[in-house]
Amino acid sequence: MKDIFTGKLVRLSAFDPEEMSKALTRWNLNSEFQRLLNASPHRMQSTKSMLKLLEEEVGELSPMSYFFSIRTLAEDKLIGGLNLDVFNWSVRDAFVGLGIGETEYWSKGYGTDVMNILLRYAFTEINLHRVTLSVFEYNPGAIRSYEKAGFRHEGHLRKLLNREGHRWDEIHMGILREEWMGLDTWR
Amino acid sequence: MRDIFTGRLVRLSAIDPEEMSKAFARWNRDSEFTRLLNMSVTRLNSSKAIQKWLEKEVEEPSPTDFFFTIRSLDEDKLIGGLGLDGIDWAAREAFIGIFIGEREYWGKGCGTDAMRIILRYAFTELNVWRVSLGVFDYNPRAIRSYEKVGFRHEGRMRQYLNHEGKRWDILFMGIQRDEWLQL
Repeated sequence: MKDIFTGKLVRLSAFDPEEMSKALTRWNLNSEFQRLLNASPHRMQSTKSMLKLLEEEVGELSPMSYFFSIRTLAEDKLIGGLNLDVFNWSVRDAFVGLGIGETEYWSKGYGTDVMNILLRYAFTEINLHRVTLSVFEYNPGAIRSYEKAGFRHEGHLRKLLNREGHRWDEIHMGILREEWMGLDTWR
Repeated sequence: MRDIFTGRLVRLSAIDPEEMSKAFARWNRDSEFTRLLNMSVTRLNSSKAIQKWLEKEVEEPSPTDFFFTIRSLDEDKLIGGLGLDGIDWAAREAFIGIFIGEREYWGKGCGTDAMRIILRYAFTELNVWRVSLGVFDYNPRAIRSYEKVGFRHEGRMRQYLNHEGKRWDILFMGIQRDEWLQL
């Protein structure tokens, strides 16, 4: 049986709050990374406060959330992280958040590879029914990557974001188990 | 829409650790009750100790455990409890434990009624795939009740229990969503 956490370019590994807090603090210095990652106002955080936050988040093994770090297969280098939050098990939907912090690994298929691994985990390991994500209108690279992994556009929160004096849509995408089963990315 | 927690004889209500610990400490003095309830060595616990344990259990609602008390519809009297616990969400399997502590409500269909409510909750609210239970072979009344609500016999661990100098089997029963939908 092939390893379920290994893809073509990357593998998912355990989330080590100490290692991750150092990396995230560094990635966070890049405001473009933060712009692409989430909708909150950008703020700077010390490694210490980041560590505290991450330890609280991943401290308890819960069936509601799954954290991973992302490593390259070539150099075993930490390049990003992701989390899957099952907010309601009775409907079996989860929200996925994914960030590649190392900019030299952008636009090379790493994120798409991660998403393929993650969807396989979501649909065949924890047996979810759907996976949801949100992405920002000004991030066409990510949108294209999610489309490649099989996500479909489901709606826009129009002009939700206000950045650099512009309004931007937040786009919601989703993929259903039966749609994913029809893809050849996981076989 | 009808209330999902109400049956014909009983309703499910929230666990109040203070009320439940008092009732449970009283039921616990009845060793026949504890024999039917679980397979641990029967011991007596103070209501204080039980309350502490219950408070911890209900303090943080867990996505894998759902506990209720059982009240009679006629007098709104606390007569027992039940819970789905340790739900394996990847497999969507839940284990059910149920008890009627008030003896005068034994053998009157209250347990069966409560089980019907919790199965509806399990299959249409939590949307689990199957529900399992364990019962002892010296409890034919419970076995009959579980059969009535649709549980099937799935296996037994022979001579597992040792009570009053005798050996007894543990029976395993289960019901799947598609079976329940047929009822």
